[in-house]
Amino acid sequence: MSITLNDVRKDYDSQTAVLKNVSAKIETGEFFVIVGPSGCGKSTLLRMIAGLTPITAGEIKIDDTVVNDLPPKARKLTMVFQNYALFPFLSVWDNVAFGLKARKLATDDINARVKEALKMVNLTKLAKRKPRELSGGQRQRVALARAVASDAKICLMDEPLSNLDAQLRIKMRQEIYALQRKLGLTLIYVTHDQVEAMTMADHIMVLNDRHVQQIGTPSDIYQNPRNAFVAKFFGTPQINILPAKRSEENSHIVNVSSDLQIVLDEEAPSANLQIGIRPDDMQVKRADGVESNAVVKNTEFLGDETIVYATLNSGSDIHVVLPGKADFRSYEPIRVTANANLMFFDPDGKRIDLSKEAYVHA
Amino acid sequence: MIAKFGTFLKKHFLPILGVIVIAIGVVFVNASHHETTAKAGRTPIVFWHEMGGPAEQALDKMVKSFNQSQDKYEVIPQYEGSYDEAVQKIIQSHGTSASPALFQSFDISTAQMMHSKYTTPVQKFIDEEHYDTSDISPVARSFYSNKGQQLALPFNTSQPVLYYNATLLKKYGITPPSKSPSYSEITRIAKQLYEKSHHQVKGMTMEIYGWLLEEALANDKTSLINHGDGHTGNPTKISVNNPNTVKFLKWIRTNIKSGDFVNYGSGASAETNEIAAFLAGKLGIFVQSSAYIGQLTTGNKNELGISYFPHPDGTKANGVGIGGAALWISNDKPEKVQKGAFEFIKYAENAKNQANWQVATGYLALNKNSQKEKVLQDLYKKIPAARVPGEQLASAKPNNANSGILMEGMQLTRELEETAMETVYNGGNINSALTTADKAMNANLQTTNKANGR
Amino acid sequence: MLKSPASNPTAGVHSADTQAKIEASEKTFSLNAKDKYYAWLFLGPSLLILGVFIFYPMFRTLYLSLFLTNTVGKPTVFVGLQNYVNLLTSADYLNSLLVTMVYVLGVTAATIVLGLLLANLASKQLAGIGIFRTLFSATMGVSVSVAAIFWLFIFNPSTGFLALMSTWLHLPVIPWLTNSTWAMIAVIITTVWMNLGFTFLILFGAIQSVPRTLYEAASIEGASSRFQFFHITIPSISPTLFFVSIVTLIEGFKSFGLIDLMTKGGPTNATNMLVYRIYKDAFYSGNFSQASAESLILTVIIALFTLLQFKVLEKRVNY
Repeated sequence: MSITLNDVRKDYDSQTAVLKNVSAKIETGEFFVIVGPSGCGKSTLLRMIAGLTPITAGEIKIDDTVVNDLPPKARKLTMVFQNYALFPFLSVWDNVAFGLKARKLATDDINARVKEALKMVNLTKLAKRKPRELSGGQRQRVALARAVASDAKICLMDEPLSNLDAQLRIKMRQEIYALQRKLGLTLIYVTHDQVEAMTMADHIMVLNDRHVQQIGTPSDIYQNPRNAFVAKFFGTPQINILPAKRSEENSHIVNVSSDLQIVLDEEAPSANLQIGIRPDDMQVKRADGVESNAVVKNTEFLGDETIVYATLNSGSDIHVVLPGKADFRSYEPIRVTANANLMFFDPDGKRIDLSKEAYVHA
Repeated sequence: MIAKFGTFLKKHFLPILGVIVIAIGVVFVNASHHETTAKAGRTPIVFWHEMGGPAEQALDKMVKSFNQSQDKYEVIPQYEGSYDEAVQKIIQSHGTSASPALFQSFDISTAQMMHSKYTTPVQKFIDEEHYDTSDISPVARSFYSNKGQQLALPFNTSQPVLYYNATLLKKYGITPPSKSPSYSEITRIAKQLYEKSHHQVKGMTMEIYGWLLEEALANDKTSLINHGDGHTGNPTKISVNNPNTVKFLKWIRTNIKSGDFVNYGSGASAETNEIAAFLAGKLGIFVQSSAYIGQLTTGNKNELGISYFPHPDGTKANGVGIGGAALWISNDKPEKVQKGAFEFIKYAENAKNQANWQVATGYLALNKNSQKEKVLQDLYKKIPAARVPGEQLASAKPNNANSGILMEGMQLTRELEETAMETVYNGGNINSALTTADKAMNANLQTTNKANGR
Repeated sequence: MLKSPASNPTAGVHSADTQAKIEASEKTFSLNAKDKYYAWLFLGPSLLILGVFIFYPMFRTLYLSLFLTNTVGKPTVFVGLQNYVNLLTSADYLNSLLVTMVYVLGVTAATIVLGLLLANLASKQLAGIGIFRTLFSATMGVSVSVAAIFWLFIFNPSTGFLALMSTWLHLPVIPWLTNSTWAMIAVIITTVWMNLGFTFLILFGAIQSVPRTLYEAASIEGASSRFQFFHITIPSISPTLFFVSIVTLIEGFKSFGLIDLMTKGGPTNATNMLVYRIYKDAFYSGNFSQASAESLILTVIIALFTLLQFKVLEKRVNY
C-alpha cells in the first residue's frame, strides 16, 4: 500500500503553522524515514498520517483513497510508539492480542497470529510476563509483535529506539529492518537520529523549520544536500561551512578570507557565498610562518582516524578528519587544503551548483 | 538538634508553660462564666428546657416576667435540643457544676428520672409550703406521680384529639362525629367521605406512632404493663398483645381494606405530610396531638372540627393520658436553689401563665382557673373547636391506665410498637406482629430490671 | 545523643542464638537520665493525648460492653458476651446490619459508577469541558447539613421539586422519606450526591494520568471507545478505583449526620444504620452497654474492610 501526501498543512491555532507544503509519495514496501531536529513537526506528521491528529489543509491518500476524515482504525495501519504504549496490566501475550480482541477476531485466529508474531520477535518464552518484568529491548519487541500481529500493511514508528542504549539500538535497528523486508511492510519511521535514517531508509524526508528540506535516498541526501541545513544534518563529524567572498579582481576566484582560495570554471554568481567541505575531504600539514593558514586547537584520536580541530587565521573554526594517527600539538601552525567535493551555498544556505577546478590554496 | 532544642526548652520552659496555662485558663474561665451569672444578690437557677421556635419565645417571656416579679432568684433558661437527647445530658451531668437546678423532661422519661434518684420530688415543697395542687389537671398530675407522691409538675401538656374537616363533611352531607366518637362512627364517616368524594378525599389516617397506640389502650382502660402500668409496683411484664390492642388495629385494618385510609408513615415527616394533606382538603380525619391546633387554624380555609380520642364500640371512653413534659428539680443543688426552682414552677403553673402558654403554643392550660382568663376566652370565641381538648383533659378521671406508663426504656418500647403498627398497616398478621413486639419488649424489660437490681 | 549499637565491643562475634540473648540482656541501646528526661518530655504530650482520647475510651467501651448499665448509665451486672449474643440474635439489630449493608453497598456502587461516568466524560477533550469539571466536583464543598436540607426540599411530598414534577406529569407522587423502601433510596441518592464531588475528582485525576498513547495505540488497533473504557481505563485506574470504593464504603458505615437530619433512622428503622443506632441506644435510650457492644461490632466491621484495603492495595490490584 502506498501513501501520498499532497500539500499537507497543520496549524495549531489559526496563526501558527506547524507544517506547511508537505508533499511526498511513499511507495508500497518502502522503508521511509522522516528525520529532523526535535520540534520540527515530524511526529505531528506521523500522527496526521495515523489519523490521531487532524490535518488543517491538503490531502493524505492511502493507495487511491483520501483518508483525511477517516478515523485511525479505518486507515488499516499500525503504529509503534516511542514509549511502546504497552498495557502495564496485560501480559505480553494479551498486549499483542489486544487489538485483535478489540476487533473481535475469532479466538483461533487471534491465537495463531499472536503466536506467529511472538515467534517472529523471539518472545515466545516471555509470553506470560508483564511489561514491567521485561528489559527495554524486550518491551520494544512486544510493541513490534503487536504491529506484526495486526497484519496491517502500513506501519508507522515514532522514534521507536530512542529509549534504548546505543548497543541495543544498533541491534534493534537491524531487527526492524529485517522485519520490514520480510513482511513487505510500508514503513514510515520517524527519528531525529541521522544514523538511523542513513542506515535503514529507502528514502529520507528531512524536515526542518516547518518545511520539507529534501526527500531522497540516503546517498543522494549525503552527497547532494539541497541546502546547508541538510548538509550539516548528515555526516559525522559535521561538514565545515565557511563564509567566502568572490574576488574583486577575478570573478572565477572565491576566497575564504586570505586562508583559502577556490578557482571556479565559471563566474561566481554572487559576491557572498558559503563553502561546504566535508572534514574528510581536507588535508593538513605542518607549516610555518607565511605558509600557515591555521592554528591547531586540539586533536582527538579515535583509533583509525584523528580529528584535528583548528582555527583559520581569519577566525573560522574547522575540523578535519585524517586517517590513522596524526601528531599535532596545540598552537602549532598548520596549512589546511582541500581539493574535492566542495559544495557551494548562497548566503541563505541554498545550494548553488558550480563546477570547479576545485582546489584550495592560500 | 535534640540537645539544642533541649537547652532552649530548659531556658524557656517556665515562660512557655506559663503562656499555655494562661491560654487554657482564659478559655475555660470564659466558657464557665458564660451566661450562668446572676445579678448581684440573686440566686441563679439554671433551667434546662427543650422548647424550640415559638414555644421558646413564650417560655423566655415567662422566665423574664418571673425574674421581674421578685428579686431573690434569677432563672437562666438554656435550650438543650430534643427531649430524647436532653434526658441523657441531664443524667450524665448530674453532680457536676454544669448540671441544671431545674429542668424540663418529657413524659416517657418519668420512670427514668424517678429511678435515677437525681431529683427532689416536688411533693417535698408542696408539703412544706402547703401548695394547693387541686387546680392543676388531675390526669396530668397523676402522670408524674408515683404512689401518691408528686415527682414533678406537668408543664407543657397536650392530649391526642381527633381533627376533622367540618367544611368537607357539610359539603357531602355527612353527619359529623359526636364529641366522644366510637371506632365505628369514625369508620362510617371516613368511608362516606371517601366514597362521596369519588375517592378524591381520603377518609382518615392514624400516624404510626407508639404514643397513639398507648393512648388507644388508655382510652380503653387497658394497662400495657403489669402493676397498673407501673404505678403500683416495678413493671415485670409487658403485654402489648392484648384483645384491646387487637381491637384498635383491627379498626384501622378495616379502614385500610375499604381504601379510605392513607398511611403517611412515622416520624416528623408523617406529621408534616398529614397536616399538609388535611389543610389541602385531601384528608378528612386524623388523630394527633392537640398542640397542632395553632397550625391547623392559621391559614385553614375550611372549618376545623375537633372531637375526643375515639373509643371502641360498646365501652365508654376512659379518657386519654397526656403527652408533653414536666418540670423537675435536681437534688444536687443547695436547698436555697431548689426552693427557688419550685418558686418558678409555681409561677409557671398559675392560671394566667398557663392561659398565655396555651394561646402562644397550643399546649393545654393545666390550671382549671385558666379557662376564665380573657386570653383563652378570646381564643375560644375565635375558634370554638379549640375548647374541646381542654374539655377532654378536664373530663378524664385519672386511673392507672390513663396516667401514663411508669417504666424505663419507653423510647425502645415505642419503637417496637411502631414496628408492629407498620407491619399491620402493610398487611401483616396482627397477632404475630404483636407477639414479636411483646417478646422484644419483655426481653428489654428483663435486662433493665437485671441491670438495676430490681 | 543516642549511643551507637556499634559501641558495644562484643557485638557481632556470637552465633545468632547467643547474640539474641546478649541483645536482650545487655544494653545495646541505652539512655542516660538526661536523655530519658527528654524522651518523656517529647513523648509525653502525645501519649497523654492518645491515652485520654483513644486508649481510655476504647477500653472503657470494651468494659461497658461486658456489663449491663443501669438507669444512670453505670455498669452494674457483669454479663460477659451476653450483650453481643443478644444483638446478634435480635431481629432488630440484624435489620440494622442489613439496611446498613444495603445502604453502604448501594452508595458505594452508585458513587463509583456515577463518578466514573462523569470522570470519563470530563476527560474528553471538548469545548467548555472546564465548566463541567468544576460543576462535577462542586459538591465537595457542601456540608452534610446543607446537603440534607437541600434534598429535604427536593423530596418534600407536597412542595418539593420531585413532587411538583410528578404532579405536572400526572404521575403518582413518590413517598420519599415516608415509605421504607423510598426512604432508603432517598438517603442513598443524597449520600451519593454528596460523595460525587470527591470521587469524581480522584477518578478524574486517575484517568488523566493514564498515558494518552495507550488510547491512541488502541484506537489505531481498532478498539471502540467502549472497549477502550473497559479494557484500558478501568484496569489502569483499578488501584484508585479500589481505594475510592473502600473509602466510600467505610464512610458509608460511619454515616450519621445525614440520617439524623433526614430520617432519624425511620421510617420504622428502615434507615436505622449501625452508627445511628448506637447514637440512639446510647443517647436516647441510655443503654450504654448495648451501645458499647454495637460500637465494637462496628469497629470490627470497619477494621475488616480497612485490612482488606491494605492487603489488596499492597498488591496494587492489577499491576
